[in-house]
Amino acid sequence: MFNKKTALTLSASALLVLTACGGGNDTEEGEGLEGATGEPDQLTVWTWDPNFNVRALEIAEETYKEDNPEFELNIVENSQDDVIQRLNTSLSSGVETGLPNIVFIEDYRAQSFLNSYPGSFVPLEEYYNVEDFADYKTKAGTYEDEVYNVPFDSGVTGLYVRTDILEEAGYTLEDVTDITWDEYVEIGKDVTEKTGIKWMTNDHNDLGIIRVMMQSSGVWLTEEDGQTPYITENESLRLGFETYKELFDSGAMNVHNDWDQFLQAFNNGEVATVPTGNWITPSITAEDSQSGDWAIAPIPRQTIEGSVNASNLGGSSIYVLNIDNNELAGEFLGSTFGSDVDFYQELATQINAIGAYEPAAEGEAYQVESEFFGGQMVNSNFAEWTQEIPEVEFGENTYAIEDILAVALQDYLNGADLNDVLESAQQQAESSL
Amino acid sequence: MTKQPTVKKKKLGKLEKKRKIMSWAFVIIPTFFIVVFYFYPMIQSLWLSLHSGAGIGLEFVGIENYKRLFNDQAFLTAVKNTFIFFIFQIPVMIFLALIFSVVLNNKALRFKGLFRTLVFLPSITSLVAYSLIFKYLFANNGIVNQVLMFLNLTNDPILWLGDPFWAKVLIVIAITWRWTGYNMIFYLSALQNVDPSIYEAARIDGASSFQQFFKITIPMLRPVILFTSITSTIGTLQLFDEPMNLTGGGPGNATTTISQYIYNLSFQYTPNFGYAAAVSYSIVFFVIVLTIIQFRLGREKK
Amino acid sequence: MKNQILMKKILMYAFIIVTCIMFFFPFYFLIVSVTNPSIDVTRGQLLPGTHFMENLRTVFETTDIVNAIGNSSLVAIGQTFIAIFISSLAGYGFEVHPSKGKEIVYTLILGSMMIPFAALMVPLFRLFGMISSVAPSIGIDTLAGVMLPYFSTAFLIFFFRQNAKMFSKELLEAGRIDGLSELGLFLRVFMPTMKTTYAAAGIVTFMNSWNNYLWPLVILQNPKNYTVPLVISALGSGYTPDYGAIMLAILITTIPTALIFFLLQKYFVAGMIGSIK
Repeated sequence: MFNKKTALTLSASALLVLTACGGGNDTEEGEGLEGATGEPDQLTVWTWDPNFNVRALEIAEETYKEDNPEFELNIVENSQDDVIQRLNTSLSSGVETGLPNIVFIEDYRAQSFLNSYPGSFVPLEEYYNVEDFADYKTKAGTYEDEVYNVPFDSGVTGLYVRTDILEEAGYTLEDVTDITWDEYVEIGKDVTEKTGIKWMTNDHNDLGIIRVMMQSSGVWLTEEDGQTPYITENESLRLGFETYKELFDSGAMNVHNDWDQFLQAFNNGEVATVPTGNWITPSITAEDSQSGDWAIAPIPRQTIEGSVNASNLGGSSIYVLNIDNNELAGEFLGSTFGSDVDFYQELATQINAIGAYEPAAEGEAYQVESEFFGGQMVNSNFAEWTQEIPEVEFGENTYAIEDILAVALQDYLNGADLNDVLESAQQQAESSL
Repeated sequence: MTKQPTVKKKKLGKLEKKRKIMSWAFVIIPTFFIVVFYFYPMIQSLWLSLHSGAGIGLEFVGIENYKRLFNDQAFLTAVKNTFIFFIFQIPVMIFLALIFSVVLNNKALRFKGLFRTLVFLPSITSLVAYSLIFKYLFANNGIVNQVLMFLNLTNDPILWLGDPFWAKVLIVIAITWRWTGYNMIFYLSALQNVDPSIYEAARIDGASSFQQFFKITIPMLRPVILFTSITSTIGTLQLFDEPMNLTGGGPGNATTTISQYIYNLSFQYTPNFGYAAAVSYSIVFFVIVLTIIQFRLGREKK
Repeated sequence: MKNQILMKKILMYAFIIVTCIMFFFPFYFLIVSVTNPSIDVTRGQLLPGTHFMENLRTVFETTDIVNAIGNSSLVAIGQTFIAIFISSLAGYGFEVHPSKGKEIVYTLILGSMMIPFAALMVPLFRLFGMISSVAPSIGIDTLAGVMLPYFSTAFLIFFFRQNAKMFSKELLEAGRIDGLSELGLFLRVFMPTMKTTYAAAGIVTFMNSWNNYLWPLVILQNPKNYTVPLVISALGSGYTPDYGAIMLAILITTIPTALIFFLLQKYFVAGMIGSIK
């Protein structure tokens, strides 16, 4: 008797805990994620970066609410890696519960999602005018001739330079404007030698800078089909490796190992230039004491025919999932991110976000001079460069190939022959994809 | 195991039967949970490992994925790295944890609770905080290098994060630092079950602390040492956090582990869940082999 | 002789203190960092600053950390009690009444520890999709769903069985002669005698639950249900994370586990068995 009683009490209490937890949840459902399937005026978004993506969405929500007072946007914020992980788990298990209506995806990963989960996303051409956006952005979200994305931040790159350090070494902003990577390396060696300050900083595991070079030359890690690894024959990649090694060997490159050390390097004034995407601006301006010392030049180009002084790094676009309420999601995105010049003015003013929406560049907010960057019209410059970025097919395997190349680069820096390392990278990429 | 006297054999037999049934009942609830939440997904995962393709576009490929493992350079490197961590890290950590537990179990020791908590702290300190500080400590111009150079142990700063060899050493240091206190708990709790009179007798016989440690403590803790070495083996073969947060698997792929490769295959690259499942089962294979070896070694000689 | 003992003592304390400093240092950095602005944290500033109030404000304004601590507590406490009870039942059952059949079940259970959780995630999520359609209150996006897979773990069963091996069988015999049923033996003899084992299991289970990241991340979608690690991760999701605030959030959320440890380690006192006899 004792046995049964105890066992019963125990299992009852276990059940109680369970239902209590579940019960606590029920009461919250009204304002929760159920919107993704239930509430007609509510949309859920998954994204990352509170200062940039989240702020942009909040501004968009406000804008859209003016005409649709019932509208509500539920923004769920996680790191990019977490968003990717959740999205993959949900989509691959085929469970729709809790999926968001809208999700941000980095351009390099877009093809991988569109191809892995066909039918899970909704084409969006009907909600906005695709022609209004820079081609390289819409191309990232084009799958089987349909456009699935509304482009967001342009990811346009610039060469952030410390004009005071340049001056100390006898150079001006003019000397680093519209230059080639070769010139960039030469000036860098000289500046480092004269001032003792490193010219730039990089993480050997992050080949972002080589991606920047490749896109400025209009090529990528895979051929036009987005599948075949394009390594040994890739002149741009080869040059990129050489440039990289030269920067490293000459001592002009500082090596960091992660993001924090990267931020630290320029905030502490340990490097004179930062060639990267425009999303770095808030991190650069975080160090007030350097106000007025910085300027932004166009990114260097490669000594390859057709290479231009404009490129792209990172940058994401917005996608709509094929679940209930996708029409509302499409309309919301189309009438804000897709076509609202005033909205982009707000973005530029409030969070320095440079969209890829071309008509927005005419607006007033883009013509503001930035005190931090020595009076440059930063937004307007970036908008202009955005329009020159060559379009490339990112394909599905950017990061898979990049991991292989990171090993190749390591070997190359340690003295291996460039042909050999690229050859073996090509073979490895072919066998693993 | 039944050593009771054979009197009242019949009655005891009946009771014994009842106890047997009851003992099955004890086992069945937990087993049910494990079947539902582990076996069921494991079987699905095994089935998945016979498929390949992007995302939901999976096709049945039989044992192709397993064949592919043998030619996959990235996988082979990950296996090599993982085993290096396993071989160098586990013995050091277990030995240290044993020493700490014995020292911090000393009756005469003051502030025991505080010391124990301090040694345990690393295992609950969030990864974010500890990877930041480790990267700072082991930076090229960080404190560790400054100390080493000051002591003339090295002339040039060691590239802890940039050199393939030292990056591995760093990972071993980091895991040891983080998990020693964790393993110490198991020993500390087990030490309480050792009858103090055994030590008393040994002391009277003139056994030194060293002898007591090797002749009494280690043999008495054998079941728990076996437990920690097996769970640590599993932990190390599934190692993910440290390389992910400290070295990102680099330089190149010098510290990439099998688990990190699974993560990359599932989430960083175009997802191939089939192949990722096959890689996961390679871990299962390695763990089973190592566990059998450890059980053999850990079995009491009868 | 006396000097030798003193020497020994000094050596022991020196060893302990040096070790503790090494183990405590990163935690010290954490404590100092909560008073510094982000930029100083990335610089590795080792002295306290004056940015504490700002960090405090950031944490409480940008996150719902109080709510997350509530969720985490509910999950960790619920999970710990249920898991150690259920798993110790099994550990006892396997060790005290071994049989061929049980050994096979046991070996299979151990096998479930060996696969990386990442490989189980997608099928497990699909399973919870099914659970959600019948019993939404324990399915996706519920705290019960976070706990369910951990109510019984091979790890704990293994731990209890290994410790039960050191459990004195005479105590059980005595209980049997007193006419205790099997459950009575378990509740009145095994559980009280194995207090330290329960304390260790409790610490470890609580800590694992409190720090669990991957599964809650996947199964919890409504930020209202977020546990602590998810909130901290979201805090660091930007291109320019505020490390001062992150460190503060980490410190606040590390304290409960440290406290639990400090309280439970008191059970690690020699001679527990003796006191029962």
